[in-house]
Amino acid sequence: MTTHPQDPTQLAEWLDLDVEDALGPAERKSLVAALAADPQLAAERQRLVELRALLASGKVPVEPTFSLRVMAELPAAGWEARHPRYWAVAMAVAALLATASAVLLGIGSARLGPSLPFGAAAAAVLDLFVAGASAGAGLLGASWRGVGLMVGNLLQTSPAHLLVAAFGVGCLNLLVLQLLRRRSPVVAPHGARR
Amino acid sequence: MSQDVERDEQIVAAVLAGAEARFAELVERYQGRLVNYLFRLVRDLEEAHDLAQEVFVKVYYALDRFDPSYRFSTWMFRVAQNAAIDQIRRRRLKLVSMSRSEDGSDEAHDWEFASDEPGPYGDLRNQERGTAIQEAIDNLPWEYRELIVLRHYGELSYEDIAQLKTMPLGTVKNKLFRARQMLKERLADFLTD
Repeated sequence: MTTHPQDPTQLAEWLDLDVEDALGPAERKSLVAALAADPQLAAERQRLVELRALLASGKVPVEPTFSLRVMAELPAAGWEARHPRYWAVAMAVAALLATASAVLLGIGSARLGPSLPFGAAAAAVLDLFVAGASAGAGLLGASWRGVGLMVGNLLQTSPAHLLVAAFGVGCLNLLVLQLLRRRSPVVAPHGARR
Repeated sequence: MSQDVERDEQIVAAVLAGAEARFAELVERYQGRLVNYLFRLVRDLEEAHDLAQEVFVKVYYALDRFDPSYRFSTWMFRVAQNAAIDQIRRRRLKLVSMSRSEDGSDEAHDWEFASDEPGPYGDLRNQERGTAIQEAIDNLPWEYRELIVLRHYGELSYEDIAQLKTMPLGTVKNKLFRARQMLKERLADFLTD
């Protein structure tokens, strides 16, 4: 956008940008010519330079030990754990333990039954873990079925129980809705409101 | 400046690669700008230091989420801006009420700054000047004050400010020009006639 270089408003804006070292070369060339021709303009530029220095003079000092204080307070960030340095040792120990377990298992199976293959012994250990997991899942499923049966019996006992349960569920839903609505608004930067 | 931008990213990459101690280089590079920026908003030097520490900790914690397509300084000052706003709201400071924005919109803010703090400016003459500067800045419309503080105390470039405030570059230039014209009038006693 080209504006007549003698426009006072434009010149004032160019002066401001020039002092901030943010004026383009073409505009600066026009400004220099205008400055040479107008002493008042040069005085205005000087005031802007002084204003810049004045604002800079209001800077406050930072505590000498601030960076040490910050570094001492840095938390363990989650991304640090992804660096191999942090999990390499743990992985090595786990691998060592797994190897030792495999060796002991092999030795044990050989002592208990020379004819028992190592693979069968490992399969037996695996079966043990699978059985344990199944038993755990079965217990969990059974306990939930038990709770369901108990609640079902309670509700069927009387219509009043059913009404109370429905009311309770309704209240819980309202509570959840209210908690969701009461959630604090995200503090957005001022510019984001535009 | 472009060399510093490149080095910021290099330091971030080094920190993420395992050289966490290099984060101290970023702290030392930005501590002055950050503390001064925050001081202009919260008007308490100790609190500005505490907030700056909080900002650096937050930045460190989220370092793996830093998008290198943005400048590190812009990203960090966005965190600082939010931290300052949160702190001001938490403390519910008594501040000088801010005037409406120049376009007459209804975005009047009710944040106010404490006006009875002795400034950390040293001797009496500097105290007087420092107080005058702070009052002149405080009396600017909020959107102008933010830009002045980002430019002169955060030392952000026009482009960084435009990116931070999601504002066109021309608008940033225009608003800063108007803000400085206001400051020039209010601080005329300290400038050459």
